[in-house]
This record gives sequence, C-alpha cells and structure tokens, in this order.
Amino acid sequence: MNWIPILTGVPYDFFEGLLILASVLSILVLVIILMVIKKLDITKELVFSIAKGSVQLFIIAGLLVLLFDMELWYLGIWGFLGMMVVISGHISAKRATKMPDAYKVTTPSILTGAGTVLAVLAVTGAMPITRPEFIIPLSGMAFGNSMRICSLCMERLISEVRQNRVEIETALSLGADSKEALRKHSDTSIKASLIPTLDNLKTLGIIFIPGAMSGLLMGGTAPEMAAIYQIIVYLMIVGGGAISTIMAMYLAERKVFNEMEQLREWVYS
Amino acid sequence: MKYIMEMRRLRKSLEDTLVLKDIDLKVRLGEIMGLLGPSGSGKSTMLRCLNRIIEIDSGEIIYKGKDLKEFVPEELRKEVVLVPQESVMFFGTVFDNVAYGPSLQGEVDKKHILNCIKDAGLDPEFKDRDARKLSGGEKRRVALARALALKPEVLLLDEPTSGVDPKRKEKVEKSILRFSKKRDLTVLLVTHDVDQAKRVSDRIANLRNGRIKGVYESEEFEGGAAF
Repeated sequence: MNWIPILTGVPYDFFEGLLILASVLSILVLVIILMVIKKLDITKELVFSIAKGSVQLFIIAGLLVLLFDMELWYLGIWGFLGMMVVISGHISAKRATKMPDAYKVTTPSILTGAGTVLAVLAVTGAMPITRPEFIIPLSGMAFGNSMRICSLCMERLISEVRQNRVEIETALSLGADSKEALRKHSDTSIKASLIPTLDNLKTLGIIFIPGAMSGLLMGGTAPEMAAIYQIIVYLMIVGGGAISTIMAMYLAERKVFNEMEQLREWVYS
Repeated sequence: MKYIMEMRRLRKSLEDTLVLKDIDLKVRLGEIMGLLGPSGSGKSTMLRCLNRIIEIDSGEIIYKGKDLKEFVPEELRKEVVLVPQESVMFFGTVFDNVAYGPSLQGEVDKKHILNCIKDAGLDPEFKDRDARKLSGGEKRRVALARALALKPEVLLLDEPTSGVDPKRKEKVEKSILRFSKKRDLTVLLVTHDVDQAKRVSDRIANLRNGRIKGVYESEEFEGGAAF
C-alpha cells in the first residue's frame, strides 16, 4: 500500500533556507547575550556545540544527496547500516565501564534489536525497501534508540553487579548457576533502561508532538496518517530497545562470570 | 584418621598481593576446625577457595579423595557450602530464603526447611517474617539455616558471630555445636576470637600472614600462641 507520504512541503529552496537559518541565528545571539549578562561560562561550549552539530548535519545531508543520486544506492545503504552498527556498538560499550571488550556484547545486541524491527518494518511495508529516504532515517532511529536503551541497560547492569557482589556470591554459594544468580539484576537493568522510553510513550501528544510526527505534519501529511506513522516509529523504538537489552543481558552473563561460575576479576576492581 | 579435605601448598593472590602462602592443612571428617587469625591473615580467602567462589593460583585441594577441580562448581557448592561474613537476605520471607537452595533443585521439603530454621536457633514462627527486616543476629541465623537446608557435608562459616551481641553470640555458637553433631557435619569456622575458637572447635589452625603457624587440639591451644 503506497500510503506513505512524500515530504515535499518545505516552502523554500536550499539558498532561501540558508538565509532563513542565518536570520534564526538571532536566537543564538540572544542566548549568548543572556549568558554574558548572567555570567554563565558556557558561551564557548554553546557556540562550539551548535557549530559542530550543524557541520555534522550538513555532512550527513551531503552524503544522503550522494546516496539518493546513486544508481546502486542499495549498496551504499549497506555501508551506512554497517557504519551504524559498528559506531553504535562502540559508543554503547563505553557505558559498560570496567567490562573488558564490552563491544562484543553491545554490537551484536544492537544489531539484533534494530535489525529485527527494521526487518518487520520492511516485511509489513511500513518501510518501503525501494526508498532510501525512508530506510536511512528509520534505520538511524532504530539503531540510535537501540543504542541508547542498550547503553542504559549495560550501565545499570555494571552498577547492579558491583553493588550486589555479595548477594550474587551468596546465591552462587548456595548452588545457583550464573544465570540464576544474575537473573534479578539483569531483569532490573532491562526494566530500568526501558522506563524513559515508556514514560515518553505515556506523554505522547500531551506534552509534545514527537519528531517523526512533527516532520510529517510540516511536510503536509494528514495528521491521522502522521499519528499512525509515529506509533509505528515508537513500536520500532520500544521493540528494538527491548530486544537489544534482552540480547545484551544474555551475552553479558559470560562477561560477568567465567566458565567456573565465578565472578570475573573486573567485578572486584 | 579419615580426612574429608586436604589443602596442599595452596597459593592465592588478590590484586597482586600473595594472600595464601603454601597452605598445607588436613580437615578431619566430622570435626569443627577453627581457623584463627587476625584480619588480613587470609582466613576468608581460604574459605572462598574451598567452595570455588574464587580459584586458587596453585596447589591442590583434595575433597573426598578427588581434586576439587574435578567437581562441577554448582554441584560442589551444594556439598561444601559457604556462609559469608555478610548475611545478605534475598527478597521474600525467612522460609523463602531458607528454601532458596532446595528450590533451585525443585525439592522443597517444608518439614526439612522448618527443622533447619529451628536448628539454626530461630523460632519456627519466624518463617513468615520479611527476611530483609530482621536484625543482624537473626539474619546470621537465617543464613545458617539456608546453608543447612542444602544438607551440606562441609560448612564454611566466615565469622558467624561478627556484629552479634554477646548474648546472641552464645546462642549462635550453641546452634553450631548442636547441628554439627546432629548432622555429622564437618565445619570450618573462621574467627579472630580465641575464646570462641576454643569453645566451638575440636581443633584450631592458627593463621598468620597467609601461613599456617600451627594446628592444635582445641583444649591444648593456649591463647598466647594466637597471632
């Protein structure tokens, strides 16, 4: 069903857009004046962050222009997806402080979570597989959110294990295997990592109109269609995140315990 | 003389510090052996090695005639049960806690669990109490009952009365003596209290700086030999 709208509603071209952007920079000037008056020493960081973010967006826009113009764009898509997997896995692993080679847990977990939901979107037609302008942003959302949720989960697991070392050892001492000894702590980590996303779901449309729906509305899509697509996006985020965390907790078990069902040394450090 | 456990030239380092230095020690079947020594002498580390919560660096531990490494760790830990110094209670009632080990094997015998609670010196009425809301001394006894529920052959007790007031300390000691004889248990009891070691143990191994300084029959052990 070809019901997915094409974003054509932005009422200006690139150069007009740049002029408008330059005018809107007045907001930044106003903020800088306020920071100087309040003597808040973050002006440099503010300007740097906005400049860095803008450059990154222009770079990705340039790459997307190239990709959309390519005849063999689907090959480029695989490169993009591969890059997303590797980068998201490594960024997420940084949150698992102390755990050696944590990227071996986070990378396959994010790939499984995001990959599964993207496959469902592709099979159901929610993500047209012949349209890179849908594949790239949806993949970005799937990988980005799976990474965020996986990071929260890993961070929580590390703190749970280190804080509850005696409890885990007590369970092991009473004959529990590593899965049983870790179960409560991995469950807690999964729940804690999904709570911010679930809280967002509860306030959808009440406090804010989320990104995808806002974009579609600005692009001229009918509100009810934009709402349907936003729900699809949220299902993708929650699903990808949940699958990633379950996979991460499964893989993390062997990083926490050795083959003799003992806590590994990094837990004690 | 039948020995249930034998340590041969046991060495273990923790964070680059050699904690156990060539430990040689034989534990008799059914005895209560006190491991006496000051803080940092390696007593707790030794217990943790004996049920493989941590692994020794070198040497051998022979248990029932076999190298400890030949046992599957989860199976070994049901026979050689460690009660750590800190009595952590799991979520749930006293009964849930005591039944933890047997429930992992799917064999919860209510009568046996209540007997263990009683043997550890607790009133069976305690069974429905929230384990996490008990006093320190009560938690210690629940931890003992929880270990007994596994029907262990060797019980490793790490400072079972630390933080317990003198009156309750005596109760815990009496419980240990009672259930070890009743169940024909071998007990290794870590303590830094010379009098307690003499009151409870059949023999005392004196540890200092990770080495065994001597093994004595309890009645022959003189306080002056400690530390």
